[in-house]
Amino acid sequence: MALKDINLQIRDGEFVGLIGKSGSGKSTLLNMIGGIDRPSSGAVEVGNTSVQDLKENKLAHWRGRTVGFVFQFFQLLPTLTAAENVMLPMDFCKTFPVRDRRQRAVSLLERVGVGQQADKLPATLSGGEQQRVAIARALANEPAVVLADEPTGNLDSVTAQAVFDLFREMATAGTTVVIATHEADITRVIDRTLEISDGALV
Amino acid sequence: MTSPVTKIFRDFWQERGRTGLVILAIALGIAAFASVMSSYAILTRELDRGYLATNPASAVFFLDSIDDELIQTVLSDRSVSNAEPRRVVSGQIKSGPIQWRNLVLFVVKDYGNVQVARLEHERGAWPPATGEILIERDAFQVAQASIGDLVTVKTSNGNEQRLVISGSVHDVGQAQARMENVVYGYITLETLAQLGEQPYLDQLNILVAENRFDENHIREVAARIQTLIQARGHEIRRVDIPKPGKHPHSEIMGVLLLSMSTFGLFVLALSGILVVNLLTATMSSQVRQIGIMKAVGASHRQLLGIYLSQAMLLGAAATIIALPAGLLGSRLLCRYMAVFLNFDIKSFAVPLWVYALVALVGIITPLVAAMYPVWRGIRVPVRVAISDYNLSPNSFGSAVIDRLLARLGGNYRPFLISLRNSFRRRARLALTLLTLSAGGVFFMSALNVRASMVNTLDQMFATRKFDLSVIFASPQPIDKVERAIRDTSGVNAFEGWFVTEGSLTNDSHSSNASDPRTTTPAGGLHGGDSRGENRFTIIALPSDSQLQKLQISEGRSLATNDTDAIVINTTLAQRNPQLKVGNTVTIRMGPAEVNWKVVGIARESFSPAIAYIPLSFIQQRHPGETNSLRLALAKSDSDSIDAVKAELETNLEKEGLRARASTSKAESRFGFDQHMVMIYIFLIVMSAIIAGVGGLGLMTTMSVNVLERRREIGVLRAIGATSRTIAMIIVGEGLVIGLLSWTIAALAAWPISKAVGDSLVGLLFRGGMDFVFEFRGLLIWLAVSFLLSSAATLLPAWRASRLTIRESLAYE
Repeated sequence: MALKDINLQIRDGEFVGLIGKSGSGKSTLLNMIGGIDRPSSGAVEVGNTSVQDLKENKLAHWRGRTVGFVFQFFQLLPTLTAAENVMLPMDFCKTFPVRDRRQRAVSLLERVGVGQQADKLPATLSGGEQQRVAIARALANEPAVVLADEPTGNLDSVTAQAVFDLFREMATAGTTVVIATHEADITRVIDRTLEISDGALV
Repeated sequence: MTSPVTKIFRDFWQERGRTGLVILAIALGIAAFASVMSSYAILTRELDRGYLATNPASAVFFLDSIDDELIQTVLSDRSVSNAEPRRVVSGQIKSGPIQWRNLVLFVVKDYGNVQVARLEHERGAWPPATGEILIERDAFQVAQASIGDLVTVKTSNGNEQRLVISGSVHDVGQAQARMENVVYGYITLETLAQLGEQPYLDQLNILVAENRFDENHIREVAARIQTLIQARGHEIRRVDIPKPGKHPHSEIMGVLLLSMSTFGLFVLALSGILVVNLLTATMSSQVRQIGIMKAVGASHRQLLGIYLSQAMLLGAAATIIALPAGLLGSRLLCRYMAVFLNFDIKSFAVPLWVYALVALVGIITPLVAAMYPVWRGIRVPVRVAISDYNLSPNSFGSAVIDRLLARLGGNYRPFLISLRNSFRRRARLALTLLTLSAGGVFFMSALNVRASMVNTLDQMFATRKFDLSVIFASPQPIDKVERAIRDTSGVNAFEGWFVTEGSLTNDSHSSNASDPRTTTPAGGLHGGDSRGENRFTIIALPSDSQLQKLQISEGRSLATNDTDAIVINTTLAQRNPQLKVGNTVTIRMGPAEVNWKVVGIARESFSPAIAYIPLSFIQQRHPGETNSLRLALAKSDSDSIDAVKAELETNLEKEGLRARASTSKAESRFGFDQHMVMIYIFLIVMSAIIAGVGGLGLMTTMSVNVLERRREIGVLRAIGATSRTIAMIIVGEGLVIGLLSWTIAALAAWPISKAVGDSLVGLLFRGGMDFVFEFRGLLIWLAVSFLLSSAATLLPAWRASRLTIRESLAYE
């Protein structure tokens, strides 16, 4: 979905909910912020970085360090354990010394409530556990921004509530969180709601 | 066009890269198959056609001498259509400053009217005039001479004479001169007289009038003619009956073609494996579509129709590509074989049945390969099919091996991804490993078989402690020989042996042994050759010989007091299973029949059939004589041997003796090595083709893997992986598969090399080999595996690294 006339500023540590129908442009807007899509005109600035000006490899490193992604289908790498999945962004971006990575991964997993599952493969975890691991992975490099696209779309309502609470904690701790969702309950935890329709903010 | 048909073509188009790879892999298999089948059809036809066009003799009589009257008598038998006399004389030939070469001279009475065992005139003069010699076209390289050159020729009883090479002929029935390291020359009776030999002909070639390919009929006619000749007071030394209508080398060619056909089918089967791999992956990616088609009313039969049609189309496309390539390969193969067997191919026309067979096999192989994956794919329930939506359709972690792999730690996660990803599709991995490992096994087999053959030859030649052997046409006084040797410098030791030939008396069959060299240890190599099948060489040597240390595999060697003991070599033992240690056998030696007790079997795998008897037996009949010398020299380099050879021949001449042939150990070895090269090249070419199929298989597997993991690649990029990292993960996976295939190949190489080597050597030489493992092969194949794996994964890796996150994550 193409976006048009979007003029949007999100503050540090703000928790923003993007709501809109399927195909309204929510995912496209998230992709623009995260450098997955590039705008045909206009600019996307995250912190002091003009995302659209970055070359592919620099963009990959920037993304790894600055943005944490959480997807609807968890998207954990099936051949890596929970802890290894969390360590992977640190490996790619070399943000922490090698010897500290495992400890940090386990501590992040504990923070999201799945520390006991650190050495398990994704296939052996429940959906809720997998999404928690995915959130821990998103936080691996202490990103300034976390982008979540329908993160609770595949979870039951109780687990979804718990996941929203996690995002709230992250925002409170200073991380900017943008979440695209259909869930009405989101209003309970977010700072601001943005509604998008046919590619434009309404 | 109906919508299912449209779907078939659009699916191909959508996955054109992968489709192309699979077509290429199947085409490679079909091309190998087509090449072998076409070669089989062409070579069997052309070899026999070319051979039959020469009117090969139905039977060959070796007698005292032949005159016109005798020929007329033979022709008076209505069952004989042609009878022509010839003679074969051994000698030596020398061109310029080079050393003497062994020469087999064919003496023909009337070149203008050769009707039996015809010669094909190639270039230069025809017929040769007196004082001229024609050379077999393949022998020029051995003679190191050209048409127009003056050469020196000497025979056993004559003088050295200068002859002009006036032309070349093609003698279809002769083995390749280069391989046998001998020169074939063709002269007239007048030239023979000029060379100082008695101008008579002693070999009568006859052609039966009817039933030319009926061996029993030929034997009946030959027996009648034999009686007829003997009734006229002629002495018959031998009668040969070659296998009717069969080129002397048709058996060896049959073995080679059989090996190649087996190989062709094997490559085809490996190509089939690629189809299984591809279609399994295709069916996985089509699960949702299948679910949707079922939901809108498609029956199993209709779905089968769609996907099996795809397989058939793959086969048809591959066949269209493969046929020209196969025919080209067949031409190259036929040309190589034709040079090796010294015959011409007049037509490369491939019979229709080959096209039909290749098309059938080409279409059926992918169809058969597709059956199981297609059947499995279309049986997925609609509910499951349409709900299939995840990062990856399979789950890693449920099997023990997954958990074991998960325990393998390490600080470099991208490598862990490569390693563990390799095992995610285990059936696919197994099939890929099978094709790659097969290449490795054949490559190492090629090296091992070669090394084993060389080792076997080394072992055999190690038993020969002499550097030079000299053969006389008839027994010569040993005192004169001793004097000549004493006057020759550089000889450390010598022994005077006696070489003759014999046959088992209970052997009623005879065969063509027109090549007189089969009566010498340096004779033909083809143990399976029809020539000399029932005759064998008998070597009488001192029981305590210092120049021949037989390697006894069973029983014992000859002892000093032996009088009726015989030691046979492995070739003779394998040819005549009744020859067992402890048995007494009757052997016909010339006119006499002698009883011998087999006391031992000597290991000589690639040698012609030989029996060793005590020299004392012959010395009772030929006291003070020898017909074969073995000399150990002070220096064994070729220049030193040539120098000794020249000096010895001069000294023998001074004593009034002339050698029929003299052969150094290296020259004897040369022929053996040439035969080995043929097998070695065959195995290497085979492994290269199989490795090619394996490489394509790996490329297909990796491209399928990349396709299935597009979403994962998107995630990797989303969390910071660069293009380089993605490419490295993919290449890493290829390398892991390469390493695994190498391990399997390394483990399988020993037993399979031995089996391949034993069966090839058994079929070609009717002998075994001393197996050795070529450890260098392991290292070489390790390097090849890594190179092949890297090369096969580069394209999928490059494509993966170019995927954008958006399109990766959007992939279903």
